[in-house]
Amino acid sequence: MASDPGARMAVELIDIHKEYGPLKANQGISICFAPGYIHGILGENGAGKSTLMKVLAGFTPKTRGLIRIDGSNTEYQTPAEVSRLGIGMLYQEPVDFPVLSVLENFMIGQTRGFWLNRMATQKRFESLCLHLEFSLPPETPVQKLTTGERQQLEIIRLLSLGANVLILDEPTTGISSFQKETLFQALKALAKEGKTLILVSHKLEDIERLCDRVSVLRKGRVTGEMERPFDTETLLKMMFGSVPSPLKPSQTAAGAPLLNMENVSATGDRAGLRGCSVVIREKEVVALAGLEGSGQGVFLRLAAGLKVPTSGAIRLQGEPMAGKDCIAYQNKGVTFLPTSRLEEGLITGLTISEHFALKASHGFRVRWNDAEQQAQARIEQFRIKGKPGMPVESLSGGNQQRLLLSFLPDAPSLLLLEKPTRGLDLESTLWVWEHLYHYREKKTAIVFSSSELEEILMVADRILVFFNGGVIRDIKTAQTDVHDLGRAIAGKA
Amino acid sequence: MWKKRVAVVLMVCLAAVCLMVKARTAGAADKPFVFGLLLVGPYNDHGWSQAHYDAGQYIEKKLPGTKMIYIDKVNPADRQGVTIPQLVDDLAEKGARLIIANSDDMKDGVLEAAKLHPEIHFLHITGDDVLTKKATKNISNLMAKMEYGKMMAGFTAAMTTKTGKIGYLGPLINEETRRLAAACFLGARYAWENVLKRDPKELSFQVTWIGFWFNIPGVTADPTQVCQNFYNTGHDVIISGLDTTEAVVVAKQKKQEGKAVWAIPYVYVGACEGASDVCLGVPYYNWGPGFLEFIKASKAGAWKSKWVWLDPDWKNINDPDTSSVGFWPGPALSKEAKAALDGFIKDLGDKKVNLFKGPLSYQDGSVFLKAGEVATDSQIWYMKQLLKGMIGQSSAK
Amino acid sequence: MIWAGPSPGRPDDQASESKSMIQRHWKAFGLSLAGVLGFTTAILVLAGAPPLEAYYHLLKGSLGSLNKTGAVLTAWIPLTLCAVGLLYTFRIGLWNIGVEGQMIMGAIFATAVLRWGVESRVPLLYLAAAFPAAALGGGLWAIGAGILKTKGEVHEIFAGLGLNFVAQGILLYLIFGPWKRPGVASMSGTEVFPTDLRLSFLPGLRFSPAGLILAVIALLLTAWMFRHSRFGLVLKAAGSNPIATLLFGERPNRYMLLAMLLAGGFAGIAGCVQVSGVYHRLIPSISSNYGYLALLVVMLSNYNVFVVPVVAFFFTCLNVGSIQLPMMLRIDSSLAGVIQGAWVLVALAAIAWHRRKVRPEKEH
Repeated sequence: MASDPGARMAVELIDIHKEYGPLKANQGISICFAPGYIHGILGENGAGKSTLMKVLAGFTPKTRGLIRIDGSNTEYQTPAEVSRLGIGMLYQEPVDFPVLSVLENFMIGQTRGFWLNRMATQKRFESLCLHLEFSLPPETPVQKLTTGERQQLEIIRLLSLGANVLILDEPTTGISSFQKETLFQALKALAKEGKTLILVSHKLEDIERLCDRVSVLRKGRVTGEMERPFDTETLLKMMFGSVPSPLKPSQTAAGAPLLNMENVSATGDRAGLRGCSVVIREKEVVALAGLEGSGQGVFLRLAAGLKVPTSGAIRLQGEPMAGKDCIAYQNKGVTFLPTSRLEEGLITGLTISEHFALKASHGFRVRWNDAEQQAQARIEQFRIKGKPGMPVESLSGGNQQRLLLSFLPDAPSLLLLEKPTRGLDLESTLWVWEHLYHYREKKTAIVFSSSELEEILMVADRILVFFNGGVIRDIKTAQTDVHDLGRAIAGKA
Repeated sequence: MWKKRVAVVLMVCLAAVCLMVKARTAGAADKPFVFGLLLVGPYNDHGWSQAHYDAGQYIEKKLPGTKMIYIDKVNPADRQGVTIPQLVDDLAEKGARLIIANSDDMKDGVLEAAKLHPEIHFLHITGDDVLTKKATKNISNLMAKMEYGKMMAGFTAAMTTKTGKIGYLGPLINEETRRLAAACFLGARYAWENVLKRDPKELSFQVTWIGFWFNIPGVTADPTQVCQNFYNTGHDVIISGLDTTEAVVVAKQKKQEGKAVWAIPYVYVGACEGASDVCLGVPYYNWGPGFLEFIKASKAGAWKSKWVWLDPDWKNINDPDTSSVGFWPGPALSKEAKAALDGFIKDLGDKKVNLFKGPLSYQDGSVFLKAGEVATDSQIWYMKQLLKGMIGQSSAK
Repeated sequence: MIWAGPSPGRPDDQASESKSMIQRHWKAFGLSLAGVLGFTTAILVLAGAPPLEAYYHLLKGSLGSLNKTGAVLTAWIPLTLCAVGLLYTFRIGLWNIGVEGQMIMGAIFATAVLRWGVESRVPLLYLAAAFPAAALGGGLWAIGAGILKTKGEVHEIFAGLGLNFVAQGILLYLIFGPWKRPGVASMSGTEVFPTDLRLSFLPGLRFSPAGLILAVIALLLTAWMFRHSRFGLVLKAAGSNPIATLLFGERPNRYMLLAMLLAGGFAGIAGCVQVSGVYHRLIPSISSNYGYLALLVVMLSNYNVFVVPVVAFFFTCLNVGSIQLPMMLRIDSSLAGVIQGAWVLVALAAIAWHRRKVRPEKEH
């Protein structure tokens, strides 16, 4: 078990590299976490924050680099070793036992012997709660707690296990503002006692309010550090980089309304979708911007008929779509390309030809020759590296994406694309959009989500910014720029 | 590649096995007379099937030059997808020249197989196909007059009961089981009225059927449960009509709980073993003499299709060489009851007492035997209902 | 590389893997076989039986004569029919454990038709009608589980098990109640059907050619459906990825119901074969557990329509041959049950092992 309470621990990361195959998640990150400070790690999704924290918490081995604790080099393999060293990690989804009570959860890992000393443990539990001003009912099963309360339980559990360094991964997601306040007060108190606190977040607001010091990550590298007081503009630049001003997309006037959402709410993703009212018109290219899971995915699936709204109405070409399924949407010309290619878009175990056969006209008998010819033709047209007889899961991600695009029908009324260029290089991305732009001549409206601001600014006519399940901005591309958009995405509408 | 390799390895193994076994089995001695046994239950069931199995062994000893082969558990629950004609084919291939089928359930299968194998003689136990003229010439039926054994069982039960309530644990309902239950009842009533001189109205005789000759979980009623119910509702003697020994087992449990209860098992001479404090005796079959006659005839080429219903040997009903039906008195049988029983057996043997004698009515009040009328074998064999005075179902609802 | 976001990379070396699938499949088959033989040998040795002789009797008892082979085929027909039906449900990713109940319902429907046919002047008509009736009975029973699955979101395993119990209950009720033999109340079965309502044997052969033809047609039809019909393609697609299938314009739920209907139909026909071709009456254990056995057969066959008849044949040979053990070697016959149980376990273990090897952790 760990050192005495109040021990001060400094953690130093030096030139940390983490590679998953060809993917470089962390590329030479060096950060020093000092005791008594709240240190923010800021960055958009995929910047490498979570990977870095997993390395620090021992969940994944680093490829290269050094971790120094209190000045001495430290190597570890498992989370258990890390926890013995006094480093505790609070995950986004609390790791606990839902059917056990709060106290029982707290006790787990506390005593080494067979007999649980319930009384003593309860005393410790209560004193910790009192100290941090948490009010947790000890006998309630954990499954009845809110996310915020589970988080509080996890914090005192880690502390009682002797954690001197606390890592919090996006702790303000899914908790109430009151709980957020309590959490922030507790964290400040802990910092004052000399604990080392690391707060991982993509929310500028949280970082600015709480942290003493912040490191910004982008594409696996540290793009900057800053101490209080923070300058929002500089932080945004560090987060999103400085980019050339947008290429101007076409200026064609939008046509008649195609898709109407009226005050639509639905569940799903992290935030769901709340009270969304949007009109999509013919010939429009609309981008859905926002951090991962802010409601874009739910929006697209609602528009595709894959999800049923909990309230509100959806109309397609003026016709109410309540009670209709995905096929009815398809019959109205709606086509959806999901981003998770193998989970939703393509069918594992089927070859390229089989996909075309599935797509092809109906009829009882499959015309294999036709399917194969079509597959061959599209493979050439879309520059897919593969053969008709290959199972789709054997294609690389980029080729899977091209294959998905090759399934698009000739004249859809509404194209819904979820991150259509994810994982593609610039050249491929340009090629994809060139291809997609052809659809506008057929009055097709295109709605796509993307996490790349550059792409959005380059191709979209209009941008909807999602934050925490709501559309907080609906703006013409011409009236915004990367900074404005970056602020909106971070919740500063 | 793999396919081929696996195939080659398999072939080599097979060839090796065949060769080795061929070498071992070659050169057997001159041919014995092989008879086959199709047993409905396990050969060691301490019941119906073991009685036949033991008789088969008795024949092997008694008639040198005979050899028994058997298949047990011949019922669709235990041997799924296997039919009687298939098994007969199998026994025939192994040289069986006479096949004994020991269950009423095999009736249709035996008829089918007998048509396919006219060269083989079939002895169907409990059947009546010869009587009904359905049988081909190579089928005979054999049964023993267990009615006498059952009368003795009923007699013993009535002599012992303190509560005047006797439970009869019945298998399925058909003519055979009805007449056996009725015989029990007649024996009990005789003891009650003529020996104990009590009012027949004070004697309760309840029959509960489970649906088959032995417990098939999920299919039949649970005999253990039925016995519990009997004892819990004031019955203190259970007479079992089942192939298996649940009645004795439950009685032992109850006895250990301090209740004064008894049981009379059925079918197998050794059924009282290990239950000395509750077992009043057992009416049992002894198939040896019956088998012997048919096998001798078949062996000598003197086979005739006939229907045979064997009597006990009244000189000594427990003589293994002569008596087809016996009653083995149990250790729990009191001295007085034993004495009365001996007298009863003597009277039966001397034809001084005939319980199948009118006036007797069926359960629904219709006449079975007019006053003074003595039942013929056929009347007893085809008993249509339980008798008046018995409680329980006469046929399926 | 401005937009090169992190894409959770999948290894691209899987193309070479599909090539060796066939090899791997045979490996799994060989492995199960070796496991089964090894285990059986161990049990035989423990029971004091000479293993070589036991194997000899198993082999001779199943394929040693024309009659024996006929017996094997008689069991092979319903088992294969059941297994063929299960191929459809497995293809769309459903665990149709209700196949037992579907077989029972098929047998009940067939018996109902055949009972009308007793004393009829055109028995052949009733015999022919029994098969579609049985398919209907099994199909309806399967659709029940299918609707519970698609509409009520009840897992098909639970729905199937529940319906199995209900079907067994109805079966027992009919045998002991309305369809009992006159004057008899026995669990031994209903009255035997007259000869002209049975599937006939060829003289000298102990199996029904009609049943054999039926099973072969079912196999060929299924093979054709899976290779050449849109239906087979959509089943495979929906089994692998229902959402994508929906996006491709087909409703997976409808295909689930169709697959259940077909599986139930084939199981029902298997039940009809049991009634009209094997037992010639309705008995409590009319299904002979072929439904459960068929699940195993299909899994061991790696869901391959051409391997199914082979594995089914192997299983029936073992089943039929095992009767020799008590007869020839005086091995307590309950040992045959122990051995059969061991087969199932060993086979399942081999399959699990095989799965782990073929699909190195997919979820991450």
